[in-house]
Amino acid sequence: MSYESLLASVLEQSTPLVLAALAAMITLRANILNVAVEGMMLVSAFSAIAVGSATGSALAGFSAGIFGAVGTSLVFSTITLRFGAGFIVAGLGINLLAAGGTLFVLERWYNSPGGLRPLGFPEMWHVPEDSLSFIPLLGPALEGQSIIVLLTVLAVPACWVFLYRTPTGSYLRAAGEDEHAARSAGINVVRMKFLAVTISGLFSGLAGAQLAMDKLHFFLPNMTAGRGFIGLAATLFGAGHPWATASAAVLFGFFGALGDRLQAFDIPAQFVLMLPYLVAILALTFSRWRIYVRNKPAKL
Amino acid sequence: MDHDNILVLDGIAKQFGDIVALEHVDLSVRRGEVHVVCGENGAGKSTLMNILVGIHAPDGGKITFNGKETTIRDPLAAGDMGIGMVHQHFTLVPSMSVAENLFLGHHLRRFGIFSDRRAMVERAGTLIDTYSFALDPEAIVSTLSVGQRQRVEILKALVFDAELLILDEPTAVLTPPEVEELLKVITNLRDRGRTVLFITHKLREVKAVSDRVTILRRGKNISTHITKIVTENDIARDMVGRDVFLMGRQGQGVRTFGNNVLQLENVSITNSDGRLLLDGINLDVRAGEVLGVAGVDGNGQTELAEAIAGLIPIQAGTIRLDGADINNASVAERQEAGLGFVPEDRLDRGLSRNMSIAENMAATNYLRAGILWRGFVDKGRLAEFTQKGIEQFDIRGAKPGLAVGSLSGGNMQKVVLAREFARDPKVLLVSQPTRGLDIGASEFVYSEVLSAADKGNGILLISSELSEIFALADRIAVIYSGRIMQILTREDADEETVGILMNGGKEQAA
Amino acid sequence: MINTNFKESLHALIAPLGAIALTMALGFLLVAAISDEPVLAYRELLFANFDSLSNFALFLNRATPLVLISVGITFAFRAGVFNVGGEGQLFAGAIATTAVGIAFAGLPAIILFPLAVITGIAAGAAVGWVPGILKVKLGVDEVVVTLMLNTIVLLFTSYLVNQVIRDTTAYGAVSWKLPEHIWLPTIPGIPGATSGFMIAVVLSLVSWVVLFRTQWGTEVRSAGTNLRYAEAVGIAAGRRVITAMLIAGGFAGLAGALYVLGIGHRFEQNFSPEYGLIALTCALLARVNPAASLFTALYYALMLNGAAYMQISTEVPRSLVILLTGLLVLLMTARLTRKGSNNQTFDAF
Repeated sequence: MSYESLLASVLEQSTPLVLAALAAMITLRANILNVAVEGMMLVSAFSAIAVGSATGSALAGFSAGIFGAVGTSLVFSTITLRFGAGFIVAGLGINLLAAGGTLFVLERWYNSPGGLRPLGFPEMWHVPEDSLSFIPLLGPALEGQSIIVLLTVLAVPACWVFLYRTPTGSYLRAAGEDEHAARSAGINVVRMKFLAVTISGLFSGLAGAQLAMDKLHFFLPNMTAGRGFIGLAATLFGAGHPWATASAAVLFGFFGALGDRLQAFDIPAQFVLMLPYLVAILALTFSRWRIYVRNKPAKL
Repeated sequence: MDHDNILVLDGIAKQFGDIVALEHVDLSVRRGEVHVVCGENGAGKSTLMNILVGIHAPDGGKITFNGKETTIRDPLAAGDMGIGMVHQHFTLVPSMSVAENLFLGHHLRRFGIFSDRRAMVERAGTLIDTYSFALDPEAIVSTLSVGQRQRVEILKALVFDAELLILDEPTAVLTPPEVEELLKVITNLRDRGRTVLFITHKLREVKAVSDRVTILRRGKNISTHITKIVTENDIARDMVGRDVFLMGRQGQGVRTFGNNVLQLENVSITNSDGRLLLDGINLDVRAGEVLGVAGVDGNGQTELAEAIAGLIPIQAGTIRLDGADINNASVAERQEAGLGFVPEDRLDRGLSRNMSIAENMAATNYLRAGILWRGFVDKGRLAEFTQKGIEQFDIRGAKPGLAVGSLSGGNMQKVVLAREFARDPKVLLVSQPTRGLDIGASEFVYSEVLSAADKGNGILLISSELSEIFALADRIAVIYSGRIMQILTREDADEETVGILMNGGKEQAA
Repeated sequence: MINTNFKESLHALIAPLGAIALTMALGFLLVAAISDEPVLAYRELLFANFDSLSNFALFLNRATPLVLISVGITFAFRAGVFNVGGEGQLFAGAIATTAVGIAFAGLPAIILFPLAVITGIAAGAAVGWVPGILKVKLGVDEVVVTLMLNTIVLLFTSYLVNQVIRDTTAYGAVSWKLPEHIWLPTIPGIPGATSGFMIAVVLSLVSWVVLFRTQWGTEVRSAGTNLRYAEAVGIAAGRRVITAMLIAGGFAGLAGALYVLGIGHRFEQNFSPEYGLIALTCALLARVNPAASLFTALYYALMLNGAAYMQISTEVPRSLVILLTGLLVLLMTARLTRKGSNNQTFDAF
């Protein structure tokens, strides 16, 4: 297997995870533990398949996915920021609403509780062959990939630039890190959180669309299979930094795919799949440990 | 047009509900001077400063800034006018650099959407050099010391080109060398044409750096002096004044005391930076006596109380209760051994506001007061016990099942007292017991404390209210900067002497 | 004193009852929009559980784990720990009990039964201990830890049930059946209903007594409402919090044990229709009161099973209930007053 085809495979597999991780990351930097990524992804996947097959247009499906996820994010932000709901419980509620809602529509309108598998589904735009060969290694790996994969590769540095090189991104970080300081500087903390949740809706939308529309072309109930939580684990492990988060997401995805192959060595897939979650707990524990040690009174 | 005075306050008044924070304050601050505002806790200094930066609006009076009469609507408006405040609690984002913190909320932009970091660093650097602050504009705030962070806070005010800088107790959190640094910075600011108004209670600092000093007491401007001429004694005297004492110890006969019930031997506490929060404290309290620890808030009183109660560890020294070493005893064990504790903040440490009055009062008293029936809480006995406490302490508006947070401040404090007194503790540690209480409630607290002492218990009273100390204490220990400056007997102490010691001055020869 | 408590209790019920009423009303509108027989649909949803003894038995069985897990969660929340790990703790208990029951099948019931149950409780408690100790000693966020642990435990049980204790004669990923001599008996008179339900009811009432009528319970609640106060009055606050988490995990573990011993009689990887999450909803809806949790859990069991009957009779999809649950959670957690919190007196009871 050449390096390029391995890279291509990794890119494709891990894109939904990276996007989920970025979604979780933006909200984490605004001091929100976003457990609703899972639900938003699910709504997006469903909308994309439903609209895509109904209209025969990949673009329409793609847009529907984004809209669905962003719409869900608006429900989330309204309930929490406007009506004072706790983020965790509201996030779990959103996930339930998404799971129940998609299943409900499947059962009621499509009469197909097992999933939505349209015959013939429009293809998303893919990067044409030989168009990016001028970029070493990455170029050929991107050729043939869906538009979303390309967008994701660009999204990671874009997130970095946003967070660290734009005023709004800095204000968002400030609002998440020290609300009091941000408010004293005249930053509208609620607006920053709202922005963070909406961006996370956008990324979740891309993730769901990629998941359902790229190779699969169908929707299954609960097809997101915990990717939202793996994304959360990735960003916790990466302490909310874009490159670390994306790398962690790719790593977790990589190990997930590897899990099947490790059967040969008698290592059950499940243990490999556990890794992201274990690692997240360890990373959090370690960072709190550092703080604990740092704050101990000095010896006389 | 008044070129001399940058700020003139005429008859500023401010009330919070029933409490008069500022009665009638006149103040003029000359352009380019360092002007200190001094006063005890509750004199009105912070309220006055908050009015100047637009956090509160005055109820009466006139503010004239740069010759124009103005109203200061909010902190942003104050900033626009040229008034900048450096608060005690920093408002910095730890993960960002000095420059980023300076421009937080108003980044300089490049092409409209990007932050112009180079320009911000440059501007920050220029500002830093102008005032000789010795800071690296790209340094991350979390790596800076407390003193350096404070300088960043000052810079934040200067970025706005503040003409008048207000500093609220700036040296409260600094180590001695950092204090020296800050005083140099203030002098520097003045030399560069800024006007500095700052609050402190530390006499040494007043003398070291200010041009004039104004003393507030009970919401009024008592006097303004030229620092060069006035003595520390004068300042201290004006700060404490001849107050009318509440009912207390005056006129009582000679009292006898028993053995030491509480002893602190060379107790020291450090924080994670190595700063000494308590520095070799030596204290003892005898049975039947009230030992008052007088001092301005923030000089180690909180740490002293929490260390004795067993809530924080000490890094050196020994604490003895009735002769027994309790260094390693838990909070519960100390209470079993006879320690009662009335914490300084009743809502933070003293009570759980959402739980009932009964549950708050019964804590630590379940066994002793027989509230348990075969291990279960007997609601009837609990109600009885609580009702007794309610009557004994005259807690208004109280029923055992009510949430304790629904009571007024004074009555909440009575719940705490009821709880602690129910154990008849050998040693009662009381911290700021009448904070936020009205006269009636305060007098009640005083009589309870005195009768506890009369019963033979030892009382350690920590208070920043001098009148309270003088009303109750048999001996007075003055704490300053984590050290006990001196311990005076009631007969030898007068407000002036204690006032001077509380503010860091030297004791006077008799 | 009784009067003020009663009035406060009533007041405390308004918000959750309001949320339930609103959700049921919206649900009815939705059903009316998609079905010609909305009244029949709702009738099936709410009352079909009582149509026959066997329906009723299923209803009780459904309620059993919900009651136990939500009561456990109330301990955690009352100690100030936001424990969302019910699912993982449930699975830990279920698999541990199954493993012991199968591994030591030869032992007589008098030994094996308590052994299996205790192992289940201990497994759940162990999973609950981790977030507890991390929070108390290091301040690690318990929501993340419990969420992550859920998946970790579920993956582990998947491994066990697929690789180690799998019943190769049966279809799907299920474990061997547990030995019959340790199965929980059914409630006399209600065939099919597990006596585990009675245990759940008793425990929910006992928990109320422990939380509100013992000194220990008061100490836990003190630590949960104001940790600094609890420390200052000499309560070993950290210990109370950890113990509360052990109990929370233990209850969920017990739910798992009673499930495999009394209802499923074997471990299946997908035996739980998100019991953990639903139980969390029940606990919050009951304003974290163990006695009230009994009722909210019964309500949910009613709805979960009722949805199936509704679908059979009127083709209204059973996923309606999941949808409504999501809506209920959102409505319940929103504070519709401008004043912010509706003055949190969880202690109204």
